[in-house]
Amino acid sequence: MSDLLHFSEHILQEVALVFMAIVYTLRLTWLLRFKAGGDRQAPTGTAGYTTPRRGIIYSWLNIASPWAMESTRTQFFFYIQFVLFHLGVVSAIGLSFVIPYAPSLLESSLLVLILQISVGAAFAIGVGRMIRRIFAKYIRAISTPDDYFSLLLLTVWFGFAFFAVPNSTVNGEWHLLTYFFLTAFFLMYVPFSKISHYLYYPFTRYYLGRTMGHRGVYPIRRAPRTQN
Amino acid sequence: MNNNVRSYKAQKVLERMGKKLNRQMVGSLAACVHCGMCTDACHYVLANPGDVTYAPAYKADKIRKLFKRHFDWTGRVIPWWVSAKSVYTDDELEELKDTVFGKCTNCRRCSINCPMGVDYATFNRMARGLLVSVGVMPEGVAVVSKDQWEIGNQMGVLKEDYVDTLEWLSEEMEAEHSDPKATIPIDKMDADIVYSINPREVKYDPRTISDAALIFYAAGEDWTMPSEGWDMTNFGLFSGDDDLGGAVAKRLYDKVTELRGKTLVISECGHGYRSTRCEGPNWAKMNVDFVMESSVDTMLRYIKEGRIKVDKSKNTTPVTFHDSCNNARSCGLTEEPRELLNLVCSDFREMYPNRAENYCCTGGGGAMSMSEYTPQRLKSAKIKADQLKATGAEIVVTSCHNCVDGLADLIKHYKLGMQVTQLVNLVANALVIEKKVAVPVGEVPAEAEALAGRKILVIDDEPDIVTFISAILEDNGATVFKAYSGDEAIAIAQKEKPDMMTLDISMPGKSGIEVFEELRSLDDLKSIPVCIITGKPELRKLIYDRQVLPPEGYLDKPITEEGLLVNVRKILELVHEK
Repeated sequence: MSDLLHFSEHILQEVALVFMAIVYTLRLTWLLRFKAGGDRQAPTGTAGYTTPRRGIIYSWLNIASPWAMESTRTQFFFYIQFVLFHLGVVSAIGLSFVIPYAPSLLESSLLVLILQISVGAAFAIGVGRMIRRIFAKYIRAISTPDDYFSLLLLTVWFGFAFFAVPNSTVNGEWHLLTYFFLTAFFLMYVPFSKISHYLYYPFTRYYLGRTMGHRGVYPIRRAPRTQN
Repeated sequence: MNNNVRSYKAQKVLERMGKKLNRQMVGSLAACVHCGMCTDACHYVLANPGDVTYAPAYKADKIRKLFKRHFDWTGRVIPWWVSAKSVYTDDELEELKDTVFGKCTNCRRCSINCPMGVDYATFNRMARGLLVSVGVMPEGVAVVSKDQWEIGNQMGVLKEDYVDTLEWLSEEMEAEHSDPKATIPIDKMDADIVYSINPREVKYDPRTISDAALIFYAAGEDWTMPSEGWDMTNFGLFSGDDDLGGAVAKRLYDKVTELRGKTLVISECGHGYRSTRCEGPNWAKMNVDFVMESSVDTMLRYIKEGRIKVDKSKNTTPVTFHDSCNNARSCGLTEEPRELLNLVCSDFREMYPNRAENYCCTGGGGAMSMSEYTPQRLKSAKIKADQLKATGAEIVVTSCHNCVDGLADLIKHYKLGMQVTQLVNLVANALVIEKKVAVPVGEVPAEAEALAGRKILVIDDEPDIVTFISAILEDNGATVFKAYSGDEAIAIAQKEKPDMMTLDISMPGKSGIEVFEELRSLDDLKSIPVCIITGKPELRKLIYDRQVLPPEGYLDKPITEEGLLVNVRKILELVHEK
């Protein structure tokens, strides 16, 4: 292992992580500086059906309940892509810890296969999403340079993660170096980009769930389509 | 214009935006990932395929750009990277107005379909409020807000007209039931229930008041209606003006407190229920110490407790139920109306999608008052029209006055041939009332004599409508003159000097508005009462804007026999009293 690769796997990652943690802390502080709106009303909806707490849990779990939202029910293929894409993110991030701190885990060819399938699928979905963002009229209309760049960054990162998974330097270090430098850049760029959405997710979902639970809306009820 | 110079209004919008932002809104503004999952949730999008300007994320970005440019890190440093953009000119504010008022009804359907939990409707309302605060708003919003600020209700109903209507309805009910207890008590202290209504009920649909009164009477309720602070609607919800919202809500709460009422019952109105029951305490910054409930809950309770008896065989026409967005998506009022419907109707057919996933009536968010956006509203209503049609029902029931108008408008536009009604009407119709006092049949005035001796001029360019109205009036004893154009109407009016006239607004040649103005300007005709009848509610404002005395009555098409007779008799009685 070259000094450069060792640096990119350790010091560079640690600095990037610390930087990200600091910026995230500042970001959360910024968000919490805004006053949270309250709700003075007595609860509405069918008595005993739901509570703010139930609404919050339902809201948080919405993303794992594709049947809960019409948008995920009717666009199930897109939902599956979403799941695979984010599993790829988890795998690629996990890989950046496994390689420097627990490389022996990658001696398991099964784990290598699973990780490669995961990031490989995410790469393919990333390419598909980029095509969609460029060619789908509605998506193109709402896309910003950050949207394109963030997606491109992640997709390329998945590509290099795919080759980095075996943690092999037999054919050189370029793929591992690129993966770790991209990871470091990714960690530092995230707080300033749309990728930081997961930082807000617990808050947006918490408040929406609290309100909708207090008002008897969450969990959503519906009757199926029937023939009249 | 130099882009570095910001107009006074634009400057104020940005300053006030900083004060309006709360954590929920900031989260929603920051969290969007532009995934587009919300796109198909919006009825505007579905009715305008290919027009990206209707997509919720696109509309939200119009507001989000400002937020990013002035409050978010990346947008402040490298705005182009995240498409952040400020606002400089009044024209840009006008453009924003067309988006936040004209392309969204704040129905919240996209909010519940966003994987991130972005509540677009909430910050769209904030944007409306910011624009309203600098006077940038549709004219209808300005007019209605002004009425609610100055007169105390959003339709500018004067106190004497309101009280007159209640007294008239009360007398009718007392006479009909021959029972001195069958009345509408006004300002009664310590009543168990204080009943608040939508001004639309006084002005255009008094039957809903008399039906509610009948139900209270049948249930033996100790109830009252306030003489002031009776409007439970709140245009602050639509305009985004929290100050108006707070003032209107407080007016109502204070009146209930003054009367020492135990429960405030809110008549069927989606935005009224949400404003009074849910948002009002927040806007008014006060805790309310009495119970508030929808009249749907009240009626259901009466049946469950056996206080009223109903016979569902009295309502056999197939009905479907339209969930108001404010009731269903913001207040969870979805099961109670269905339970009630099943108790009073024999053929209820569910609409799909329904409850919180139902589509907006397309007249929500104050859209009915914004006539400049009527064409796009009616175009977007195609989704609702298809939804209604698929039920196979003949009547659509809704617990919202705004939806009644919105649905009636689209039903006419798409020629669905359905009727719109409310639960209160169905419950009243299904009531089984034991007569307290037996009155010999011979002593009851024959219905056919109700308009005997009255001369009424019916003005409408559609022969079918003229025939329909004339038949009802003649069946009730009136002598009817018919006019199919404005000139003909004026000639007949001058010759016959009728006791009143019904006048259609939309007529070829001389419009109803011109005819009305001319009638009011002629000395020999100006005192003849006029009941405006139109299928275009958005044109009401044109009539009331005229520098002449307003019409004595108003009816929306499609007309019902009962609605027509109630209005005509009321007008004639009021004029006679004067």
